[in-house]
Amino acid sequence: MRKPLRVTVATLAAATTLIALTSCGRSDDAPAEDMSAAPVAEGEATGTITVWAMGTEGEKLGEFADAFSAENPDATVEVTAIPWDAAHDKIATAIAADQTPDVSMVGTTWMGEFASTGALDPTPDTIDGTSFFPGAWGTTIVNDVAYGMPWYVETRVLYTNTAAAEAAGVSPSPATWDDLKTSTAAIQAAGADYGITLQAGQQGAWQTFMPFAWQAGAQILDDEGNITLDTPEVVDALTYYQSFFTDGVAPVDVPVGTLESSLIAGEFGAMVSGPWHIGILEEAGYADFTLSPLPAGEQLASFIGGSNLAVFKNAENRDGAWKFIEWLSQPDTQAAWYEATSDLPSVPEAWETGTLATDPQLAIFGTQLETAVAPPSIPNWEQIATVIDTELEKVTRSGLDPQEAATAIQQQAEAIGTGL
Amino acid sequence: MSTVMRDTQDPTSTPAVKQNKTRTVAIGEARPQWWLYLTLGVGLVVMVTPFVWMALSSLKPEAEIRANPPTWWPQTFTLENFTELFTRLDFPQFFTNSAVVAVFVTLGNLVFCSMLGYAFAKIDFWGRAWLFRIVLGTMMIPGIVMLVPLFVLVSRLGLVDTYAGLILPFLAGPFGVFLMRQFISALPDELIDAGRIDGAGEFRIFAQIILPLCKPALATLGILTFLGSWNNFLWPLVVASSEDKYTLPVALALYSVGQNENNYGLMLAGAVAVVAPVVLVFLILQKHIIQGIATTGIK
Amino acid sequence: MATSTAARVPAPADSPGRGAAPVRRSTPLRRRRSIAAWGFAAPFVLLFLVFTAWPVISSLLMSVTDIKSRDLQNPFNVNFVGLDNFATVLADPLFWQAARNTGYFVVVGVPVVMFVSLMVALALNTGITRLSGFFRVGYFMPVVTSIVAVAVVWRFLLKDDNGIINVVLGWFGIDGPNWLGDPNWSMPAMILMAVWRSMGTLIVIFLAGLQGVPASLHEAAALDGANAVQRLRLITVPIMRPTLLFGAVLTGIGYLQLFEEPLVMTNGGGPLNSTLSVSLYIYRQFGFGNYGIASAMSYLLFLAIVLLTLLQFRLLTERDPRPRRKARQTTEREGSAR
Repeated sequence: MRKPLRVTVATLAAATTLIALTSCGRSDDAPAEDMSAAPVAEGEATGTITVWAMGTEGEKLGEFADAFSAENPDATVEVTAIPWDAAHDKIATAIAADQTPDVSMVGTTWMGEFASTGALDPTPDTIDGTSFFPGAWGTTIVNDVAYGMPWYVETRVLYTNTAAAEAAGVSPSPATWDDLKTSTAAIQAAGADYGITLQAGQQGAWQTFMPFAWQAGAQILDDEGNITLDTPEVVDALTYYQSFFTDGVAPVDVPVGTLESSLIAGEFGAMVSGPWHIGILEEAGYADFTLSPLPAGEQLASFIGGSNLAVFKNAENRDGAWKFIEWLSQPDTQAAWYEATSDLPSVPEAWETGTLATDPQLAIFGTQLETAVAPPSIPNWEQIATVIDTELEKVTRSGLDPQEAATAIQQQAEAIGTGL
Repeated sequence: MSTVMRDTQDPTSTPAVKQNKTRTVAIGEARPQWWLYLTLGVGLVVMVTPFVWMALSSLKPEAEIRANPPTWWPQTFTLENFTELFTRLDFPQFFTNSAVVAVFVTLGNLVFCSMLGYAFAKIDFWGRAWLFRIVLGTMMIPGIVMLVPLFVLVSRLGLVDTYAGLILPFLAGPFGVFLMRQFISALPDELIDAGRIDGAGEFRIFAQIILPLCKPALATLGILTFLGSWNNFLWPLVVASSEDKYTLPVALALYSVGQNENNYGLMLAGAVAVVAPVVLVFLILQKHIIQGIATTGIK
Repeated sequence: MATSTAARVPAPADSPGRGAAPVRRSTPLRRRRSIAAWGFAAPFVLLFLVFTAWPVISSLLMSVTDIKSRDLQNPFNVNFVGLDNFATVLADPLFWQAARNTGYFVVVGVPVVMFVSLMVALALNTGITRLSGFFRVGYFMPVVTSIVAVAVVWRFLLKDDNGIINVVLGWFGIDGPNWLGDPNWSMPAMILMAVWRSMGTLIVIFLAGLQGVPASLHEAAALDGANAVQRLRLITVPIMRPTLLFGAVLTGIGYLQLFEEPLVMTNGGGPLNSTLSVSLYIYRQFGFGNYGIASAMSYLLFLAIVLLTLLQFRLLTERDPRPRRKARQTTEREGSAR
């Protein structure tokens, strides 16, 4: 509550700086200094645990947590649901005014930014990092320190209109880049308006593009932590991605809101999307689509997203918070959470039981998750991603040379820096 | 002219209305304006179409909303979106919050802004010019930069998660001052002079002479302020740390906008639910906008 | 009446807001009036100082520091950087693109919406007698409708192949553009939508202003043979000038802060950043946690708004000494007559 005022105060005149100085010692906790997380007390959780969660998770978690309270009778979980729309702003301002809850759900790509404010508590040993999908666990690590826990995941796979593929006489599950190219072109030749839709640019296009770069073997950061977005692998991926547009196989304008009906109608042969689309397509009364992992370039890869749970340093009930999070990371709990919300578990062990083990479509996501990659949790990632979105759009829409685009991305990304 | 006027007249219209009409026509165009009706009618259709689509689509199932090409008339009527909305949300609570905040914010602006607006318009006082410039100036600062400092301030005052925290920062807005000043400065000075002659103090002049003449402006300010407060999203979200204090737009955003996917049905039903009360308020207040001061003012 | 008015209103407002009382005799009265005026101002000013002035000063200070979201809990990491942020922003080509886009939007959008709204308001006020309430509500509808819901509809209306707008254009043999997909047409689409969305507010304001135009003046002028256009120019517009100025300033301020339309319509500024506005760019920087940069940009935008407002005050009040000067002359004459 005091600190951000101190921000202004500190930048103010000397007279008011005094006020700030009186309480500055406690705020000197730069992340680097407490890399080792404090242990969590033994025994059952007690007290009230305040949690912020977005959307459906926020709606369902309160009731779900009753099971936790049953195991820990002295603990209550108070969940506040927050709209996704402005959750980022809300968390940022809450950190500024020291009005944070004990636990908050945090989008995976925000981890770098919020962890570097020093507001997040490093993950204690009670949470075992090896029990998660490696890509998911990677999203919690900022500057070699883990913060929070990957709660649920999503990843992108290929959705193909089965009938359209059959009509074109091609497999709906292309295995390689070449296969994808030929099969989508064939579907288009067989009568579809377009073979595939790929996001051509604008907000979030990097989530569709980066899998191709990772498939080509590209890395966003090298081992020393330098940005490497102009490597030959990135150029290869840009060239491949561009070819869908220059060949007219993919449309530059993807209709918002009617993507599903277009896929159903066979106007598009295929699309790249996440697990939420299964439900939307089925609700629209359509079952004739095939899911397959994204095709392999040099290797297999996809984008891993989802959300993490983080504990704030100023949590009033830190022990309770971590115990609650640990409970949520248990395979059983994760499987039960899937039943409640359809959120895919971040723990592979949870995939071994129930629907998750038997449903063939979900199995595709399970397979894809093993090779899915997350962008590095660096504070400036969102900003660098915007650069990729912008340059990618020039590549797809105005035919910018992939090499030039890669150089432009690299230059701007270096100017922005990782922020670490 | 009045003959043709009569052709378009509703036979059930009251004599008073008729009289009014004749007078308006006399000061307006000299001919019956079927073309005006036509143009305004076409304009009206353009203006209202998206709204009608929104209302109709809120009665469609999700799949139909996403259909391509889109349908106008719902092929399947369903109240599903509304029932889902009302069962998932504690609607009365959020509605009350929104109403309390909007009513107080509106009342505050009506009182404080008209007072200062009057002073700006009709009293030559020390500091008038620079005070006006400062007030007007803050209207031009993009709101987003004030978000963090304002929230820090409000939390220092201990107002997080209170109605006061939701209301106080919006109780006195520069917009209202500017509106009232502009409107009052168009009123003739003679009215005030007359009041002064009669020995009325400034406050009596304001309350008894100026305010009654300000009805159109107050109604306008009322509508626009109410609307702004009613639709405000970011501030209530940031200040309310528990759901008990969420306002309607914040609550409606909860389940309709997902991380990756939007629920259009809920979104549209929510939009209709938010709009309905505002339309009602507008219907009530818009009558006051046309209450002419032309006749009550000096002639 | 004339004489007593003069007695009570000595040396009327020659230069508004001047501290030094220009006329000797008036000093005590003016002081009394100043006290009264500040009494009127007090509640507003108090709230204003706390909830507006202080955050503004804070954000102004942020614009000369390198503050980022990560410094929020470590204020001593923040350094004073002078005008570096402003230099950074001014050297950013994307900022200039956003500035050009915003300028385009304002220069075209403001006159269009002012003109159309005034015409509709006049029509509703004088020309239309039946159904006028119905019309008023209809024209105000877009203002109250949620932008998110509206965006869904507008995307359908603006579709390239079977969007309603292009279908209608097709009736006249015009091959409509790909509104939201073509960088040359995306901004006109934004303008179209913004005009549609903000007309209602202006119409309501203008309708309120039109109530101040005495019908008697119109009647007298009509008897003298003035036609509708002459009456509009010579009676309505001069009397409406404060209201018109208000509308213009309000619209200018609003349009320079173009934000919601591109946010929901073009996925945050596309295609090829052709609808990226300054406000949207500020919001983006704010989201990245670059508070210093975002503040600096905000104050550059603020500067642009101030300049536009000054220009509007000049354009809409300078040629307008008539009502006020007339009033003043009257009082002066009365004063000297005394």
